[in-house]
Amino acid sequence: MKQKKFAILSILFVLAVLLTSCIFDTDESALSSWLDDQGLPNSYQVQTLEIDGIVPVSAESYQNLAPRDAYSIVYLGRSANISHDMVLDFMFDTLLFAKLKDADVAKSSIDFRLNSQFYGAKNFPKDSFPIQESMNVTVSWRLTRGMGESFLRSIVDIEDSTWRDSLIYWENDGSADTSYEISIGKKDSVVSLTLPSALIDSLRKKVTYCRLQLRLSAPEAQHVLRFYGPESSYGPQFRMTTETDSLTRTVTPYRAAEILENKEDCLECPILHGGLYYDSLMVELPSEPILKKLAEFYGDEFPYNGGDKYDVRQAVVLAELTMFKDDSQGSNELGYPIQIVAGSFMDDADSVYHLNERYKLNKKLIDEKGHPNMVFYDGDSLSLQVTSGMRNFINKASDGRNFKFKMRMSLPVLSPKDSLYSDHIVVVDSAKKTTDTSYVFFNNFDLARYDFSESMKSPMRLKLWLASKRGDE
Amino acid sequence: MKKFLGILLCMAAVASASMIGLDALGEEQSFGGMASSAGRGFAGGAKTGDAEGLALVNPARVAFDTKVVFNVNFLMEFTSLEHSGLAYSTSSVSIPSFNLSFPMGRFGAAGVSLWQHYSSVMDEEVEDSTSSVIAKLKYQSSVYEIVPTYAVRLPYLRNFSLGASAHFVMGNVERSLTLGPDNSAVSKEDYWATSEAKITDYVDGSWEIKNHPAYYSAALQYRGHQMSYYFSYTTPYTLRNDLNYNFRFSEIDTLVPTKYTREIDIPMTLATGLNFRFFKRNNVMLDLQWRSWDGDVENISRSFSMDEYTETQNDVFASVGFQRDGSTLFYDPFWDRVTYRAGAWYKSWYIKNAYEVGGSIGAGFPLGRKGTVVDLAIQGGKRFVDDGHSWEESFVGIRLGLMGIGNWGSTQR
Repeated sequence: MKQKKFAILSILFVLAVLLTSCIFDTDESALSSWLDDQGLPNSYQVQTLEIDGIVPVSAESYQNLAPRDAYSIVYLGRSANISHDMVLDFMFDTLLFAKLKDADVAKSSIDFRLNSQFYGAKNFPKDSFPIQESMNVTVSWRLTRGMGESFLRSIVDIEDSTWRDSLIYWENDGSADTSYEISIGKKDSVVSLTLPSALIDSLRKKVTYCRLQLRLSAPEAQHVLRFYGPESSYGPQFRMTTETDSLTRTVTPYRAAEILENKEDCLECPILHGGLYYDSLMVELPSEPILKKLAEFYGDEFPYNGGDKYDVRQAVVLAELTMFKDDSQGSNELGYPIQIVAGSFMDDADSVYHLNERYKLNKKLIDEKGHPNMVFYDGDSLSLQVTSGMRNFINKASDGRNFKFKMRMSLPVLSPKDSLYSDHIVVVDSAKKTTDTSYVFFNNFDLARYDFSESMKSPMRLKLWLASKRGDE
Repeated sequence: MKKFLGILLCMAAVASASMIGLDALGEEQSFGGMASSAGRGFAGGAKTGDAEGLALVNPARVAFDTKVVFNVNFLMEFTSLEHSGLAYSTSSVSIPSFNLSFPMGRFGAAGVSLWQHYSSVMDEEVEDSTSSVIAKLKYQSSVYEIVPTYAVRLPYLRNFSLGASAHFVMGNVERSLTLGPDNSAVSKEDYWATSEAKITDYVDGSWEIKNHPAYYSAALQYRGHQMSYYFSYTTPYTLRNDLNYNFRFSEIDTLVPTKYTREIDIPMTLATGLNFRFFKRNNVMLDLQWRSWDGDVENISRSFSMDEYTETQNDVFASVGFQRDGSTLFYDPFWDRVTYRAGAWYKSWYIKNAYEVGGSIGAGFPLGRKGTVVDLAIQGGKRFVDDGHSWEESFVGIRLGLMGIGNWGSTQR
């Protein structure tokens, strides 16, 4: 019964709705007209403002050169004034040592296979081969011996991060300087480095379980070689051959790490390196020219000092900072342009966090001249978008802060004039129905360097697209 | 019931009520917006009975009730905004009040209401004529009051009752203007930077009373054999509205908001009313409510070209109504047990040059023997705003009140 009553009521209600809605006409323009009369907006007015002559207060480069894991790729050599040492962690068992001890003569080598994801990539410059150099390599090692399987287990139990941290204070049990003639002709070449006899002699001393941490350094090399790491089935292999029985023993490393060292002459200079995850350039711009220009533009006081001093009178729709660049001050391996990405520092409730700035595409400019945020490319200017950072800066400028942002090197750009900015299929031959894929970026970092010393001494130009809440004044 | 509530919620999804004074306090739900009261033109503050329930303007009345009353009220309103031959119509659904009153015999009567006193509701999309970008404009402000009431009949003078209530104020405000870019002032070369760049001018905040937990009403009621009167006084108070002004680029990408507090001085309210009963079950009633505003109301505003203040005027609410009470004998014919109502009102809003006239008819349908009543009121009228733009609002509303009446606590004689 109850349900019936509610059903009847509901029907009455719907009928009433339909009837009453028929009474009134509706016209969007009436609403627009009413909104106008109330001073309510339909859109926000965009205004642009250019601020020239901003010279950075400071520009400092920051690097995190702590040892990094090298499971997928191990690096060896030097590029862009950064040396890349590799450390491999091996464990040996008794069977191998028994054979070694008994053998009259034994020799050893370590074999690496070139990382074909890098060297064999479709867009890897083919003229890079052959890679030839006489590479001076320092081989150093740490040997630890123990009894029983518990010894091996104790090594396995060491956290990888703990192991990498221990490499900061490397003290070797022995080392030897050797020179290798490197000649790499193709993408899947194997590089075999003969290990010094002193190392083998040390290994043969006693039949026992043994841990070997092997470090290869080539700080004066002309190249950085990228090999498959231990997680790959093509990873490094430690080979030992005994002449008595001509047996070959092969051991693969349990883990690997990379140790970086900055070899720049000027450590204080604003130099940015590519391919290092934590290499960044922090730039600080003075607040005064920005706020002065805003004050002139709006006729208001900047920074905002009313109320709780947070400025929400206008919003930055987009901010673009343009600086001088000189590509002769940099070097790269692959020859492609490299994108510079900007990051900003954003205030949170009680902390500051880092945010990678979004990159909005100026399609017309990209189609005509290419992305404006690349180095090793045409032109003498570099434009970076710092929208979020500029919003945050103006919002909180009353505390007297300067504007800070961060620059980092991103991936090499394969299609500098492609405004689609996403990998896509292109038709090569419509008759044969053959297609190809156009990639935006190369699949790996370029170990490049770029000295921004001149850029940071030169005046920069900031362009703001602004939305104001101010009414018709 | 689920279906019914479902329909209500669907309608609430596309809600805009009166668009007058959105930036100030919005629309006032006089007398708690009760369906029973609305059916007789919002008159009847002085009308007594066994189960009249709470009257927010007259807390003394409930002392004469003998039954427990609970009611919940719904309002569905269609509004048409009209100006120079143009009209825009919209609709809203709201729940203006819940009320519970509990008579306690010679110990008087107690009650509590939840009342949406003021509301600004708008949720519209409009296309910008130059850029064709859709702007989303939203207001959602409610000043709620929890109103505990106590009333008691005077000893010896049993025809008189005194009542008092405290109004604890709470609520929230949200104004969200999501806008697209107008590039008319920039070079065509610079358009790229604002493509897809919608920005929301966002304000939110809360309501409370300044320096005090509540404001108060007191009333004196006389119940005669035919004539009943009341007089009530409500204290002045200052509404405090803490607001955060901000820009939003997305839900999680905002600036640090700047805070601002607006204060609105609400003047004292005087109200009076009478009810004349004739031929046992017929009533004619007349009510008058008056407030004298001293100052203007500060708007949420602070953006674009919106006015900073809304000018006020003395607000008056005059209403006249008729009610034929339904028979309380359950064996009488159904249509004789129905309560019939009609009324009309004139209201000058607190906003300068805003006036409202309206009329209504209503009925209270008894459901079953247990005392459940469904009150239905249909109302219509016009609001005029003569602020130089001559806007009018025509409105048609349907109010529905669900009332439960019980005999808890009273002994059978």
